[in-house]
Amino acid sequence: MRSLAEQALDTARKRGADYADVRFLETAREDLQVKNGQVGSVDRSDSVGLGVRVLVQGGWGYAATGFLTKDAVDACAAEAVGIARASSGLLQRPVRLAAEPPHRAVWASPCVIDPFDVPLERKLDLLFRVDEALRRVSGVAIAEGFLTFVKKRQIYVSTEGSDIDQTIVRSGGGYSATAVSATEVQRRSFPQAEGFHQTRGYELIESIPWVENAPRVAEEAVALLTADPCPQGERDIILEGSQLALQIHESVGHPTELDRVLGMEANYAGTSFLTTDQLRVLRFGSEHVTLMADGTLPGGLATFGYDDEGVEAQRWPIVENGWFVGYLTSRELAHTIGESRSRGCVRADGWHHVPMIRMVNLSLMPGQGSLDDLLADTDDGLYLETNRSWSIDQLRYNFQFKAEIAWEIKKGRRVRMLRNPTYQGITPRFWNSCDFVCGPEAWKPWGVTNCGKGQPGQVAEMTHGSAPARFRKVNVGVGYDD
Amino acid sequence: MTEKEARALLDQVLVAAQGREVEAVVGGGVSRLTRFANNEITQNVSENRVELSVRVVDGKRTGRANGNDLSRQGIERLLDAALAAARVQPEIPDLLPLPGPQSYRSVDADDSSTADLDADGRVSEVRRAVERCVEAGVTAAGIYETGRGTIGDYGMLDAMAIANTRGLFAYHRGTRAAFRISALDGAASGWAERESWRASDVDGAALADRAVEKAIRSRGAKPWDPGSYTVVLEPAAVADLLTDLSWISLGALAVQEGRSFLSGRIGERVMGENVTLRDDSFHPLHRGSPFDAEGIPTRSTTLIERGIARGPVYDRPTAAKEGKESTGHSLPIPNTIGPLARHLVLDGGAGPPEALLDGIERGLWVTRVWYTNVVDPMTATLTGMTRDGLFAIENGRITHAVRNFRFNQSVVEMLNRVEGMSEAVRAGGVVCPALRIQGFHMSSVTEF
Repeated sequence: MRSLAEQALDTARKRGADYADVRFLETAREDLQVKNGQVGSVDRSDSVGLGVRVLVQGGWGYAATGFLTKDAVDACAAEAVGIARASSGLLQRPVRLAAEPPHRAVWASPCVIDPFDVPLERKLDLLFRVDEALRRVSGVAIAEGFLTFVKKRQIYVSTEGSDIDQTIVRSGGGYSATAVSATEVQRRSFPQAEGFHQTRGYELIESIPWVENAPRVAEEAVALLTADPCPQGERDIILEGSQLALQIHESVGHPTELDRVLGMEANYAGTSFLTTDQLRVLRFGSEHVTLMADGTLPGGLATFGYDDEGVEAQRWPIVENGWFVGYLTSRELAHTIGESRSRGCVRADGWHHVPMIRMVNLSLMPGQGSLDDLLADTDDGLYLETNRSWSIDQLRYNFQFKAEIAWEIKKGRRVRMLRNPTYQGITPRFWNSCDFVCGPEAWKPWGVTNCGKGQPGQVAEMTHGSAPARFRKVNVGVGYDD
Repeated sequence: MTEKEARALLDQVLVAAQGREVEAVVGGGVSRLTRFANNEITQNVSENRVELSVRVVDGKRTGRANGNDLSRQGIERLLDAALAAARVQPEIPDLLPLPGPQSYRSVDADDSSTADLDADGRVSEVRRAVERCVEAGVTAAGIYETGRGTIGDYGMLDAMAIANTRGLFAYHRGTRAAFRISALDGAASGWAERESWRASDVDGAALADRAVEKAIRSRGAKPWDPGSYTVVLEPAAVADLLTDLSWISLGALAVQEGRSFLSGRIGERVMGENVTLRDDSFHPLHRGSPFDAEGIPTRSTTLIERGIARGPVYDRPTAAKEGKESTGHSLPIPNTIGPLARHLVLDGGAGPPEALLDGIERGLWVTRVWYTNVVDPMTATLTGMTRDGLFAIENGRITHAVRNFRFNQSVVEMLNRVEGMSEAVRAGGVVCPALRIQGFHMSSVTEF
């Protein structure tokens, strides 16, 4: 691996690159699915290749190849230089990178049981036991479960002298029960929509009570078919942790990506209302709202030793007691907000794609009290669990989410189940309406594995820790009979 | 990868299979993309990637392995992994044997000048577009992407060639070019795109002119109240809504599982008489692959005919359940998603979108929509935002910009209220017209 990476670096340098870095990446992935008593898929995927990123006269070039002969690697590096030279012809100002000391390091995410050493039979057995438990409940039309395991080993070398060997293993899985009537398709998922994932080994899978939760999940899916619809109007809402995680992702994470703020995503994902003049000026949320970006969060899906441009993982505030105080940055853009070092947020989803600013783990810091305390403190409201649908505008103001299930709360008690709970709001008003965040005992690191960004599109994963929280006077029941 | 190279590679897999029942698929190619923003190039990339996918069928068991090590040892590792996956699992009662040899329509979709376009060529086209924006005093952002092969967005690979041990061989290679541009003036923005199988169809300067015109018109947007409006949806907006409709409703598995608006309604009127929706890979504006992920020939399939539900698209497993033949819309087998219609064609009328303005007293012109997602699958109700040019229509004329709306709208209901349609064009991966729709639900306003 290392010799080809160094060869690519050498070729790039000889061809005229002012700066170059090379990522040589090996990825293994295993996907298992069981649906309605049958294997949906048992897939193994392996990919190996390298990507060469260069600067020539301040312009970027990137080329990637999966053909790992010496000639192909030379051609790849030469192509990257040629592309960068072409880019340099249409620049407003040359790219300059914030300083980062060269790192020579070996880093690996903690992993007790390598998931690729666990027999497929054992994994399938778990999925079939869940499937059976789900389908034992009358009325379940579709039972689906999956497990996913990924192992990535990357050698990163740069013309600045960095040499980083990094291995990251992640494990995850989930299941859902779907019930169908002539007018409704209702679903409940466990542990969250799209599954629960961490940078851990198979010990994560063994720590979760999969089968024990299946009857409840299936019964709730069936009960939702005949539950009352979510009422329309302004209500106080309590968001369960995984629903709140997606709220954090869409309305805090994306708008604080500095490339997006500066217009570099304008043609695709959009820009951001959190423009640089708002930094340390905007009251983003209430005093209960503190959000920390953290590339070091144990088990986080965006936890690493170094990002994909060789910057060491860091932890810093994005929102502090309601004040907007930080961005997700890169070496290229740190200087635009007066910072001398990147926060280490640059990642790619494979060797074939160029690294760019991606969310690191971003978590709402816990407050005080349990979920029971919060419910008891709520006179009239709705408690929404598990995401079903999401949408937000291109500046990240107007959002609309749907949860799988809601419970009406009256005088501190759950009084009835509600189907199709949706809510809509404007980001800063919503976060300023937060008046209760539960404490550490209710805080969990929820993973997101389907975050799309960039052109060509890339999929990244990250974690959002959160505990249930309450928001006052939110518009609910939207989308039905509007 | 040429047909000869693909056949040689896949033959190696079939030989290495040593009598086992095997399907081998190769996908990939070259994809290049120049990205610009703030009137300069911000990213410029090239990707050269080929991946092999091997599926072993062992009676009623099957396993798949994918990899990009194309050496003999790499092929053997894939076969071993696929076989290991097949052996450990219980039987799949509905699993079908691999299909035998098929014949395919040829599709002319490969343009060598597009495949050869280099970074200098892309930058030169981008420069023309950026210059138009700079002259107009607005900021340009966008992409110019070209490629040959089957690398799709988000790095997904489709089949370029398929062979199996029952004698099937299929090959298709195409090129593509896409130019998308946003013109920005603060929160006001305009947008334009062109997709084609060849780069010679792309005119960056002309696209910039369209985007600039919209951006300038978008200045000073006024807030309108939420409510139901007569709207003109440009083709890009229609395409986005139809793509989501396809994902949730137009495949046979969704219908069979009772989670599509088509479930139990085949043969009934479900949309307006002026709506005919097909999936047609061979449409000259699509030029898609003539086969699916199993190598079954793709058929042009009528989904809705003058408002009557004719049926979804099928793969072999869903077709077998109903005693029908596959329409050739399979994803890699096995899967839990079912077949997908990915080359939609909504029949259009005649004339430009502007001809749809006539007679609208008070309505909205929608350039495109953004971040659509499903609110209610049974009614195909989607939410999303208008974007990059929302304009007031008053007394048959576009009068001023309107602050963007969030909508919540059933696509099925919408296609029951089509009052007019322009000529169909290709936009957002769909061939469709602009539509004039009565009673489109705008549910909340945003801040710009």
